[in-house]
This record gives sequence, structure tokens and C-alpha cells, in this order.
Amino acid sequence: MKNLRRISQILFLALFFFLLIQTEYKGSSELGLPVKFFLDLSPLIALSTILATHAVKAASLFSLITVVVSIFFGRVFCGWVCPLGTLNTIVGWFRMRKGKPTPTDGRFPRLRPVKYFILVFILAAAVFGWNTAGILDPISLTIRSLAIGYNPAVNRIVRVILDSAYALDMPGISPAADAVYSMMVGTVLAFEQPVFRQMIPIALIFSVILGLNLLAPRFWCRYLCPLGAMLGIIGTKQMMARVDVSSEKCVKCGCCNRTCQGDATPFPPGQWASRECLVCYNCRDVCPVTAISIHPTMQRTGEGNVDLERRWLLSTGAAAILSVPIVTLGEHRERVHPELIRPPGALPETDFVKTCVKCGECMKVCLTNGLQPTFHQAGLEGLWTPILVPKLGYCEYHCNLCGQVCPTGAIQLLKIEKKQKTKIGLATFDKSRCIPYAYNRNCGVCEEHCPAQGKAIRFTDEESVDKRGRAFILKKPYVIPQICIGCGICENKCPVVDIPAIRVSPINESRHDARLFL
Amino acid sequence: MTSRRDFLRILAAGAAGAMFPARRLGALTPPKAAPATFGVARGTDTAAIVRKAVELVGGMGSFVEEGDVVFVKPNISWDKKPEQAATTNPVVVETVVKLILEAGAKKIIVADNTCNDARRTYKRSGIKEAAEGAGAKVPFMEQRRFVSTNLGGTVMSDWEVYREVMEADKIINIPIAKHHGLSDVTLSMKNLMGLIGGRRDLLHQNLPECVVDLAAYFKPTLNILDSVRLLKANGPQGSTLKDVVELNTIAASTDPVRIDAFGISLFGDAIFSNDPAAFPHIQEAIKRGLGRSDFSGEGYMEVNLG
Repeated sequence: MKNLRRISQILFLALFFFLLIQTEYKGSSELGLPVKFFLDLSPLIALSTILATHAVKAASLFSLITVVVSIFFGRVFCGWVCPLGTLNTIVGWFRMRKGKPTPTDGRFPRLRPVKYFILVFILAAAVFGWNTAGILDPISLTIRSLAIGYNPAVNRIVRVILDSAYALDMPGISPAADAVYSMMVGTVLAFEQPVFRQMIPIALIFSVILGLNLLAPRFWCRYLCPLGAMLGIIGTKQMMARVDVSSEKCVKCGCCNRTCQGDATPFPPGQWASRECLVCYNCRDVCPVTAISIHPTMQRTGEGNVDLERRWLLSTGAAAILSVPIVTLGEHRERVHPELIRPPGALPETDFVKTCVKCGECMKVCLTNGLQPTFHQAGLEGLWTPILVPKLGYCEYHCNLCGQVCPTGAIQLLKIEKKQKTKIGLATFDKSRCIPYAYNRNCGVCEEHCPAQGKAIRFTDEESVDKRGRAFILKKPYVIPQICIGCGICENKCPVVDIPAIRVSPINESRHDARLFL
Repeated sequence: MTSRRDFLRILAAGAAGAMFPARRLGALTPPKAAPATFGVARGTDTAAIVRKAVELVGGMGSFVEEGDVVFVKPNISWDKKPEQAATTNPVVVETVVKLILEAGAKKIIVADNTCNDARRTYKRSGIKEAAEGAGAKVPFMEQRRFVSTNLGGTVMSDWEVYREVMEADKIINIPIAKHHGLSDVTLSMKNLMGLIGGRRDLLHQNLPECVVDLAAYFKPTLNILDSVRLLKANGPQGSTLKDVVELNTIAASTDPVRIDAFGISLFGDAIFSNDPAAFPHIQEAIKRGLGRSDFSGEGYMEVNLG
């Protein structure tokens, strides 16, 4: 059974990576693949979004599959499906090979309740409108960390190696590097080197989570994972895969506890903790005297589930509830931050922040790499939600990929025609930096690139004289606010690259009537 | 988007860059025959008028030799459909590729350094599919394939040029005639901006000098001007289909000045003047002896195929 479980883990991990890599423009305006499949499977994301927004979305119902499976089989999702669980298993192997573990080695039973408190915090905060699920939901966490943290780093390393080999311009080596590069681009490498703000911190957090496996196998799954806690609670009374240790046969060797992935204590008999069990089958497969069986039974065979003290549960819930008014107090709620340009189709800001689970799918798929995670721009409640950073990438006129991949509808999927009329901001000239205004020379790069129907950037012609005394027509650009949609290509292409002479800010965005000022 | 691998650019420039200028094979070699001819073909069958225009100036065989590597430069800059006339007509590209193959070329590369995302423009313009179908290679221009080159121009000196251009034997330039917000028109000379990389956004401050520098350096073997559809306003990418008129016209010439002068005549009152001499880049090009602006003079031939 253990091998069957491993095959399942590897297949799901491969599917996860495949879908993640496919979360990129591949030559068709429609992505065509359900790249958010794993996010849809998470009932934690579904429930917290329902609680925070007081609305049920069709996509949330998909996660009922996971709920139903957990009711009958316990945390089989954790043990057999979850990509982060599998990554944790793999890193855990490095620990297993070091010396000989003892029966208590790598066990921190006192930490087991932590994940339940995290879960309670997430759900209690969600009820009052602060949706933190995506920060620690293992699917969202993994997608964000890989897409924004690891993917740019891996791309960078591979490209540096291949490009160095190519630049050597040596027979044999350069063509080989070229061939490898061509093969990898569009399959495992991104089309262009991705660049993300906060790449390093986001990658480091994930690296720490993976590194914790060296302290205890599947440390995250055992002690921290809120989705694991949720599925554990759902599956507490599961009947299909209960671990049954025969007291008569048991020789008290402790092998089962040593190999247990979930710190579920099959030994001593009667102490098995159903909420911790990842249904990994290690205990049954390792037992030298076949004292352990895992089978469906209506009979409850002992409970070693951790007690969650009510006062701590209530305190956690209270802390979560009290934190909501605090995180929703701040500059970001008083006045819109000038960098807070949301992707087209984004819900109005308060709903957007409640609905977005910070998974990073939109940033991964963004054609121009313009969608970036926020840091302070939307307050703590909006940490790692997407904003368009025109200096890094603009919003491509004919593209709506971000709406196609958003798992919660925080970014609504707009028809292209509607998207092309959706204002996400407004371009403003800085005449003290703009080349025609400030330096009496023609430029016009912004006007050339403006894609808006009817042209949101136009020129006024003015007769001028250059430094050598020759008369010429100076073309001074200006913005037509009724037409400008804030796509940011003008800012992106402006030759004044440090502080562009035309910049987009979210004023005049059409998702807020109050901000439409022109 | 931030440019990839600044580090590597230094590496490439330092280690290998010095070797590349010497490797330039044949783009500068003048065409075998340099006939003072100018061919114009009009008609609704686009492929036929492309063939006719090229035939009028001596046929592709007088420009491309057996075994040549040919770089074809259409305009693929914008994420627009062919009807919007912001990119070279795919039938024109396809026909030119076929003509070059028929003339015995070994390899044809069709590429452009685009303004919108190349994955989108190559597809939406229809050019990738058409050119590949006709037997050309249509790669995306990757940053690592640009090599620093001295263009020796009056304003442009060291600049990044796409490596395949440097290594090609011939360059065939197939611009589309369009209005341009800054320079009023964009024709054959400005189309060459798609052969270079680097900070192209800075060129707009000296646009006439820059495009003439490019024309003087690259000296395309043949220019074929697509004005099957003409973008007469809101160029270079256009706004609505109201900006487009159908002219069903193709012109071919080795002389870029003559081609651009002809292009200017197509716009009628959509631009401030139809006098080539009124355009700074034409003045500059004539000054440098790149060609002549009386396109309808000696060697002018026009055929209307209906």
C-alpha cells in the first residue's frame, strides 16, 4: 500500500507541476486548462471565502469532493494528494538517512494543537471579513512560493548557465546550449525571465517550511497546516481506514511511531489519533509482526486525539476577531495608495481583498510580468494581492488571462471587449520630465504605443525652434481621460526609465464610482 | 520588462562580442545587378501583385543567389489583425518567402523585434503561420542573440543587432506603409528598427537621422512596400478600421528613398504633404546619397492586374 501511496503522490505532484508550468500564455488567448484545479480542491479556501464574502460561488462546491473523501477516509488528501505534503515527504527523506531514529525522535506532540489554533484563527477572522486562508493554505502557499519565489530563481540559474555557454561562441558548445534552450523555453522555462518583487522573502519562507522537515518528518503537515487540521476534524470519525493495533500481537518495538508520517501515535495500542493520521500505511507496512491492520470498521478502536483546551480555542477565536478591526484600520483604507492598480475585472477593493487568496496564479500567468504581489500598498489585509506595476509590465490590451485563472472570482473574467473598456487607472504626464515639454525635443513613444480605441494619448502641434535655431514642429502629448484605461504601456515604454514621465495611478478606475473623477 | 541577464550582456560583450563584427558575412554586399528600376503592381490578387512587382524589377533571382541565407523583415510589431493594417500583410510575407525559395535560397529567417508581446503579434498578424507554411523559420528575437555592432552612423554608433541579421547574406525588407504619429509616415527605412535591440525608445528624439543611419548600414537587398491596406491615421498601430483604406498596391525597389517617396504619395491628404522633400528623413537620405526621391522617373514601371 505504501508504494501505491507513493505512486499517487508522485502523479499528483507531477500534475501540480504540469498545471503550474502551463499557467503561462502558450499562444492562445484561452488558456484551455483548469490550472487552478488544486486550489479548487481546497475546502479551506472555499470555506474562508464563503465566510468572508457571505456568498457561495460555484467553484467553492468543487472542494466538496475533498470533504466527502475526508469524511470517509480521514486525511487521505494530505497523505496521497497534497503537493506540499509530497514535497515535505521528499525533503523528509534527507532526515531519515541521518543516523538511526529512536521511537520518540522527530516527535513534538505538544505542537500538534498549533494547526487547529491556526485554523480557528483563519475561520474566525474570515467571518468578520479578513480572509487569511490563502497565506497558509498549503495549495495557495505552494503555488505562490513556486510561482513567485522559486520559478524566477530556477529560470535565472538555467538561463545564466545556458546563455554563458551560448556566448562562448565555440563549436559544439554554443549550438548545444542553443538547442537545449530552445527545447526548454515554453516547456519548463518561462518565455521570458520572470521578475518578481519579494521573490527572496517568499522563497525563503517556503524554504524554511521545507527545511522544518529536518526537525521532524512532515513538520508542516503535523503541526502547522490549517487545511490538514480542517480535514482532520472532518475525518475524525472516519470509518474506512482506521488503524487497528492488536495488543496481543504487538511486541512494543515502536517501529510504527518511528515511521508514522503524521505523528498519529499508533503505539501504544488504543492511542491512535485519527485526526493526525495521514493514511500513509507506513505503520502497517513496517510492523514486523503484522499487528497493525488498516481497514473499514464501524467499531471505534481507541482515541489518541489531542485535546484542544476550550479556553485556548476561545482565546484564539477572540484574538482573530479582535484583530480584524485593527488590520482594517490604516492609511490604505483612508486613501487609495497610488500604486494600487488592480487587474481589470477586480472586484471593488474591500470585496477584492476579502475574496483574493493570494495564490499568485494571476501573477504567474500575466503575459508581461506586470502583476506583482503587494507589500504595504493594500495594508496587512491585502498582503501579496496582485497589483499592476507598469514599470515592470503593462496590461496587454487583448489579454484576460488573469481573469481566467483566478480561483475565487476576485478577478472577474471579463470578455475582451469589456476588458478593453475597463479603466484600471489613469495616465498622467509629468511635464517636468516629459521630453517634449521639459527638453523641447520630440519623443512620442507613449502615443505610438497607446492601444485604446480612439487613442487616449494625442498630440498638440506647436511651432518651436531647436538649439541650432531651426524651426520644427514640437509634438506635445496629452491624455484623454475618457479614453485612457490605465493599461500602463505608456509608462512601461517611456524612455525616461527611472521615474517615467507618464505614470499610471488608480484614480479614475471604473470599479469604484467614487474614484471616477474625470 | 526588465531586460534579462545584464550580467551576460557584459560577458557576451567582453568575451565574444569583439569577434562578431568580423563575422559579418554578406548583408553589406550590394545586389548582383543594381537596376535603376522601380516596380509597382496593382490588383486585388495580393500574391499576384507581389510576384508582378518583383518581376518588374528583375525577378527575385537577380537579388538572391543559390544557397543564400536570407533575412526577411516584415513589420510584426503590433498585436493587431491583418485587416487593421498595423503589420505587414501575411500573404505578402508568404509570397516573398516563396519567391526567395524559388530563387534557390538555402534558409529564410523571418523575424521582428516587436512592440507588443512577440508571442501575440507573431500569431495575430498571421505572419508566423503564413511564413512557416511557405518554408521560412520564424523565431522570436531573443535578447541573448543580439550582438553589439558599430553601425557607424551620424547618431547611431555601437548598437545591438540581431545576430541572424549579421550572419545573413541578404536582407529583404517588407514594410507596410503606415501613418505615424511622430514622423507622419513609417515606410521602408523606419521598418529597419526591428533589426536592432537596445534602447530603441531613445531613437525617437532624432528619428530622421536614426532611420537613415539604419538604412545606410543595413542596405537591404530589396525593399517591397506593402500597401495592400494603408493605415492612414492613428499610426503606427491604428485605432479602428476607419483608419484603414484598401489600395491593393505593391511597390518594389532596391532604392529605399524611392520606395519611401512612393509611399508618401499614397497617403493623399491624410498627411500634411505629399512632397517627399518635405520629410526630414528623405532630405537626410538624399544628402547621404542613399537614393533619389523622384520615384516615377527613370525605370518606373507600373502594371495593373485588376
